[in-house]
Amino acid sequence: MSEADSQTESEQTATAGPARDAAPLLRLRNVGRTFHTGDVAVTVLRDVNLEVPRGQIMVIVGPSGSGKSTLLNIIGGIDSPSTGEVWFGDRDLARLNDAALTRYRRESVGFVFQFYNLVPTLTALENVVVSSQLSDNAMDPAEALKMVGLEHRTHHFPSQLSGGEQQRVAIARAIAGNPEILLCDEPTGALDLETGRNVLELLDRLNRDFGRTVLIITHNSAIAAMAHQQVRIGSGTIAEAKANPRRVSAGEISW
Amino acid sequence: MNVLDRKLLRDLAAARGMLLALLCIIVVGVLCFVSMASVYLNLEQSRQRYYAQTRMADFEISLRKVPLQDLSELLGDLRGVAEYRPRVVFEVTADLPGVERPLTGQVVSLPGHPGPVVNDILIRRGGYFTDDRRAEVILHDAFARARNLGPGDRLRLILNERIHELTVVGTAISAEFVYLLGPGGLIPDNENYGVFYLPEQFAREAFDLEGAANNIVGRLTGEYRERPDAVLDRIEQILEPYGVAAVTPLARQQSHWFLMSEIDGLKVSVVFVPTLFLAVAVVLLNVLMTRIAEQQRTVAGTLKALGYSNRALFSHYVRFGAAVGVAGGLIGAVLGWLSAGGMVEMYTQYYEFPELANRPQVLVMVFGLGLSVVFSIAGTLNGVRKILRLSPAESMRPRPPEQGRRVLLERWQWAWRQFDFRWQMVLRGITRNRMRTASGVFAATVGSALMLLMFHMRDSMNEMVEFQFDQLLISDFDLTFRNVEDEGAVLEVRRMPGVDRVEPLFNVGCTFHNGHHRKKGGITGLMRNARLTVPRDVAGNAIAVPRVGLLLTRLLAEELDVLPGDVLIVEPVRGRQDRLVFPVSAIIDSYLGMAAYADYDWLNHQLSEAGAVTGVQLKVDRRPEVVREFYRELKQLPAIQAVSAIRENRKQLEEVLIEQMMVSVVVVTLFAGALFFGSILNSSLISLAERNQEIATFRVLGYTSREVGQIFLRESLCINLLGMACGLPAGYGLCLLINRAYSTELFRLPFVIQPASWVVTALLGLGFTLLAQWPVKRAIARQNWQEALNARE
Ligand SMILES: Nc1ncnc2c1ncn2[C@@H]1O[C@H](COP(=O)(O)OP(=O)(O)OP(=O)(O)O)[C@@H](O)[C@H]1O
Ligand SMILES: [Mg+2]
Repeated sequence: MSEADSQTESEQTATAGPARDAAPLLRLRNVGRTFHTGDVAVTVLRDVNLEVPRGQIMVIVGPSGSGKSTLLNIIGGIDSPSTGEVWFGDRDLARLNDAALTRYRRESVGFVFQFYNLVPTLTALENVVVSSQLSDNAMDPAEALKMVGLEHRTHHFPSQLSGGEQQRVAIARAIAGNPEILLCDEPTGALDLETGRNVLELLDRLNRDFGRTVLIITHNSAIAAMAHQQVRIGSGTIAEAKANPRRVSAGEISW
Repeated sequence: MNVLDRKLLRDLAAARGMLLALLCIIVVGVLCFVSMASVYLNLEQSRQRYYAQTRMADFEISLRKVPLQDLSELLGDLRGVAEYRPRVVFEVTADLPGVERPLTGQVVSLPGHPGPVVNDILIRRGGYFTDDRRAEVILHDAFARARNLGPGDRLRLILNERIHELTVVGTAISAEFVYLLGPGGLIPDNENYGVFYLPEQFAREAFDLEGAANNIVGRLTGEYRERPDAVLDRIEQILEPYGVAAVTPLARQQSHWFLMSEIDGLKVSVVFVPTLFLAVAVVLLNVLMTRIAEQQRTVAGTLKALGYSNRALFSHYVRFGAAVGVAGGLIGAVLGWLSAGGMVEMYTQYYEFPELANRPQVLVMVFGLGLSVVFSIAGTLNGVRKILRLSPAESMRPRPPEQGRRVLLERWQWAWRQFDFRWQMVLRGITRNRMRTASGVFAATVGSALMLLMFHMRDSMNEMVEFQFDQLLISDFDLTFRNVEDEGAVLEVRRMPGVDRVEPLFNVGCTFHNGHHRKKGGITGLMRNARLTVPRDVAGNAIAVPRVGLLLTRLLAEELDVLPGDVLIVEPVRGRQDRLVFPVSAIIDSYLGMAAYADYDWLNHQLSEAGAVTGVQLKVDRRPEVVREFYRELKQLPAIQAVSAIRENRKQLEEVLIEQMMVSVVVVTLFAGALFFGSILNSSLISLAERNQEIATFRVLGYTSREVGQIFLRESLCINLLGMACGLPAGYGLCLLINRAYSTELFRLPFVIQPASWVVTALLGLGFTLLAQWPVKRAIARQNWQEALNARE
């Protein structure tokens, strides 16, 4: 496994950094999402065009209710757009059936949720296994926990862990399956400044050292400082998308 | 172990209170199924083996006398008759040294040498006859056991009015007498009624039947076994000149009939009872699973987001039900097998089989387990479907706030305000969680219906015994004469010590004809001033026997299709052969199956007799020393063929019934208790979990756990009272249904539900409700409400 690991690592490091001409990992074309509740139709996303480059950190900032989570869900394959296309390599997620979408989530995506969403009746380690056992080229779950600095907490239940620790378990779970992209919905939303910063540093390191593509959505614009790509979303559509020439490390961010 | 299975185990452990409640109900269901099905199979298999082994007859004919030669000419190559055996069969009295009362029983003849004959016996102790002519007897094994008799012992039988001293050579059982009843008995009385197998030749000589027989048993060829009527009608016609008294197909053979009604009863219960319990379990499991689906919303959504397929989630959550089903099935199967052992034990007390063991019926157990699993999975499907239908994105969103819809009552503000807020909570809880309320009501309905049914059975049995012995069998002793006697015999009996009253009976065995309707039976001639046999209708009213004509029970009248005013052709078996035309004067609604009565003098006159007597009924002084004296004299009366000691029968019957009823009262109450208890615990604990925050808030406001518990108690009470309100009428319907189903030609159970039974059923239901409140109270007291307040659900 270490062989396979180092191989993907070197591949990804090669494409890391501002390599603009390399094909983007994800390409969204005119994506729209409308919810129907009863007779009322609410359009949450419209005309979203976005490219997520491989091996970079992208932070999408927007106010509450602007459609960030909806966008992330579509990218993560747990929701489908009403219109438009979502290209992941040569697959349009919008056209995949349920089984194919499940395979996509299993093989390519790692989710980090705002409220961690750990299984309360499983220990930290077991929570990681839940995800690693799905993947053929998964990491050793203990290894994943070690990467997030929780090797001494493997047999603790979520209720015995602090919020930051729980979020780190959630990150270990997300990376254990060796996904191509980490999708983080408000990863610091429920954490204090210090703990939040630790989590961001962890994500930063995962990108830097292991070449993971990281997509963070947040209403906290300070976090955008650590991104390669900064995106602003407002009332359901992309207001601005730009590269960030002056990245600061996660440790220096404060809000 | 897969981590998800580990999660499953912990989830199960967390819901253990509710699961335990459910498990009780499932266990009862499986237990009932496994025990009754195993007993059914073991009984039925034993019966079939036994019948095959001893060549059980398909028909029996009793007649006055038929020469063997005529018989072989007439039946020799009759189509449908595979084989037959002429026998000598008589009711007799026996005298045992050291036993005060005269014993009665049946003499049945057997070939002098063992062979594979129709209605063969199986020797239990000792051996077969040593010779065709010797005064040897083989005893019905249960009788021998009860009277402590064995090979080598001697006893005296009065055969054909002569006393014979016989040597016991062995004891035996026979498929013909699996359930042996004396005349008028309902349960075997092994101490006082037996079967005496005698060597053929000896028996013929003793009864003056040389070269002849008075009873024929036979087997039919395969194609006629299921529909014996045509063949039997033919046989009856052929043998009519020899005075046919009765033609009995296997289906109406006494022992077989009782055994089959037991076996068939089991067959019905095996379907009916477990289904009820498992149905309640399904409904409750559905409620629990809906709750778990709600609880696991986010977890399930997260698992989906991580890449678990719907199939994987389905199999994970369905395992919840499967685990409950497997646990309940295994426990139920084991307990079921154990209680089958108890039931078999009970059956062996009354039914004599060569071997009736509680063989483990593996298929039944596997099927019981399967039933439990299937029902449990069925109970989880709805909840699982809810989990699967949820989109992961949806499950991640904060739950839409609960719809605070007003319940119907709230619309009438004035009425609503009459309730204090805890009652308001109760009413809201009941009306909002319709499914949970419905399942609780259902469980209480089934539970109270079952209890009422059980009490109804007890009441009806009691009523039957009371009616039988207080109204119908008023005499102390009934004596049957071997032959038709005259007034002299009555006078002789009247002179016996301690006899207070004697009433003669004149029984005439006959065949009734009306057009193509035909029925073998008898007419009982009753004295005009008779007090010891008084025909009574179902309401207990004495019905006067008409001076002229017949009084028929409703069942017989319907069978013959006659109404009062019609006439019947009566063809007597005894006496003359010519047919008589009797008017039907009245019809009586009676519990006594099929019977016909006539005025004693009128009947005598019609048969050109005067003062003819076939039996007498006695009232005697019941002081022990007088009865002893009476018995001693009775033993000296050779004309007596049968004695029934009515009072002793009653005592014995009551003892057995009380014992059996105790068992069923305890068992049914326990089972019904499991229903009440299980459903209350289940729904209260669920509701406790759901209202965690609400309750925590009350606790913060200063309400004690007792006061909070009141809310739950009131809710349980409302649901269970509603359930009982449905269950009592439903139970009444069930009682009626079962009463109808059990009414047969031989037996009609009165329909009684004592007021006390209603009350006790209701009280037990209430009691269970209060009892189930106890664990709920403990759960409330132990609840960590501070934590509940801070928790984000
Ligand atoms: N399933 C749905 N049905 C109806 N409306 C929905 C649904 N999902 C989202 N919405 C609506 O879409 C809008 C955007 O929701 P979304 O969760 O994407 O916002 P967000 O930017 O993530 O906000 P927050 O920062 O508060 O998480 C909201 O107004 C929300 O109510
Ligand atoms: Mg959001």
